[in-house]
Amino acid sequence: MNKTLLILKKELREVFRDKKSLAMMLIIPVLIPLIIIGMSALFESETSTDVNTYNKIGFNYELRDIELEILDSLEIDYSINDTDALEEKFNKQEINSYIIKENNHYVINYDSANIESSGSASLAESFLETYKSVLEENYLSNNNVDILEFNNLLTYEEKTQEQQNYFANYIVNYAFLFILMAITVSATYPATDATAGEKERGTLETLLTFPIKSKDIIIGKLLSVTLSSIITGVLGLILSVLAILYVGNTYDIYSGTELLNAPIIIYALIIIIAYSIMISGLCIAIASMSKSFKEAQSALTPLTFIAFFPGMIVFMIDISNNAILSLIPFINFSMIFTDVTNNNLNILYLILMLISTIVIITIVITYIIRQYKSEKILFNE
Amino acid sequence: MIKVKNVTKKFIKTNKKKEKLEFKAVDNLSFDVKNGEILGILGPNGAGKTTLLRMIAGIMSPSEGEITIDDLNYEKNETEIKKSLAYLSGNTKIYDTLSPYELLKMCAEIYDVPSNEIDERIKKVSKILNMDAFLYNRIEKLSTGQTQRVNIARCMIHNPKYYILDEATSGLDIITSQIILNFIKDEKEKGKTILYSTHYMEEAENICDMIIMINKGKIIATGTPDEIRKMTKTTNLRDAFFSLVGDIHE
Repeated sequence: MNKTLLILKKELREVFRDKKSLAMMLIIPVLIPLIIIGMSALFESETSTDVNTYNKIGFNYELRDIELEILDSLEIDYSINDTDALEEKFNKQEINSYIIKENNHYVINYDSANIESSGSASLAESFLETYKSVLEENYLSNNNVDILEFNNLLTYEEKTQEQQNYFANYIVNYAFLFILMAITVSATYPATDATAGEKERGTLETLLTFPIKSKDIIIGKLLSVTLSSIITGVLGLILSVLAILYVGNTYDIYSGTELLNAPIIIYALIIIIAYSIMISGLCIAIASMSKSFKEAQSALTPLTFIAFFPGMIVFMIDISNNAILSLIPFINFSMIFTDVTNNNLNILYLILMLISTIVIITIVITYIIRQYKSEKILFNE
Repeated sequence: MIKVKNVTKKFIKTNKKKEKLEFKAVDNLSFDVKNGEILGILGPNGAGKTTLLRMIAGIMSPSEGEITIDDLNYEKNETEIKKSLAYLSGNTKIYDTLSPYELLKMCAEIYDVPSNEIDERIKKVSKILNMDAFLYNRIEKLSTGQTQRVNIARCMIHNPKYYILDEATSGLDIITSQIILNFIKDEKEKGKTILYSTHYMEEAENICDMIIMINKGKIIATGTPDEIRKMTKTTNLRDAFFSLVGDIHE
């Protein structure tokens, strides 16, 4: 049997028989659906706050029938008191805002630092705008002006694009980012175990006495770590797709939006495979230089952050992808995925991302093979 | 035949003042090991035995000089040479998540044992070392003695021409040590060549055909146990060693 395959078989046996490696492979992917559902529930609750929590508005004047009709249509719970009493009720938070009328001038009083009071102020503003429209219509009618003609002097409408649902983009992009994070965490443990761990346990000396070229050892180890990472990534992707389909059908914030489609899933899979190869190579390279398992784990911790933050920044700020960004590791994976979710993918950038990954991984593997050819890998002290 | 020619191994050591100092763990050693011979390499801790054997096993490279095995050298024929060797040291560890059977199968495949012979060889080695009772248990569940037997089995599985055994009995109980010593005697009978390092002089005296005594990286005596005893006018190798290096308190 090919020596690389023998090493791969040995490494996979070790990974799948080690409880910690298995836990690292499975824990984060399993958590992703919970995060997606939790975040969606949070968005939904924020966007659909119950009107009863901010609809208590006070007035310092007697209301006309037309005003009462408008208040009723806006579900405003009103009360009428003098100004001092309104102020006292507001301070005691018995009302969320209050309107003071002096002649034809109205003042809305509210606390901008308080969410309910700010919501109440918006409601009061809607009330006054509606009442003003009624007064304007009455005024025009009394002066023999055709209201329809007057209203058609200028017309406008707002139109949102169906695909650009803020919450939909947010949840899909972050689900992808969590998959990348899961892959990173999943790669660190078997990479450390296969290199620094093997050195610490004393089995590396045994391995180096075998008639196997260092190239076969490294490629076998890299393949095993990559395979574990891909398993984590694919599991994360499957669970994310299921969770996204569930929230898409459950929460109103996503209504009318297609959260996922086949191209998004296919491109996500391509990026997951490329990312798994790169992160596995980097983890093995860093862990190989460490003398012990603990030292390797410490050295790999920053990589988890380096892998996560560029992706997060890409999703937070609006940057357009270009050829240079497609070559920069970590940023390019998130950029390409953002392009895919925005239906804006440039195949050239995808190819550049793949080329960049292949070049980096070739440099990394060449470096590790040299390390394994030298006795320093075993006796670096 | 193993030929060690003017081999030196230098290391860089950092002292307390953080100055880097070069020292020679092995200093210009030359000797040959004839086929079918047990060569004992004796010396105290730090004498350079392990470094020398690691260079012969190909896991370290000499700073100077050359090592050839059957006229092949590591630079050009590393894989070829390693196929003819088995290396076992007191520090050699094996994959404890595997069972002895899985480990032996993996080793046999690595050493290119024909696939139709692998099971037969595992059976044979398992019988010789009395491993049948735990052949399919995980190595992590085995006792030290059982693990050491698995380690020996790993060395035997590809029927190597040369055994390199570095302090293989160090730290082991008397029964496990005896298993290794019996294994050495059996392999010698089969015509295998064995390099055997130890700091237990009595052990070497019983099994070795030839002895090389080293101290501070240099050979201080070489010959059969009889020749060394006669040369130093002593009755055993322990006294011979002290007569060669001088009084321990000097």
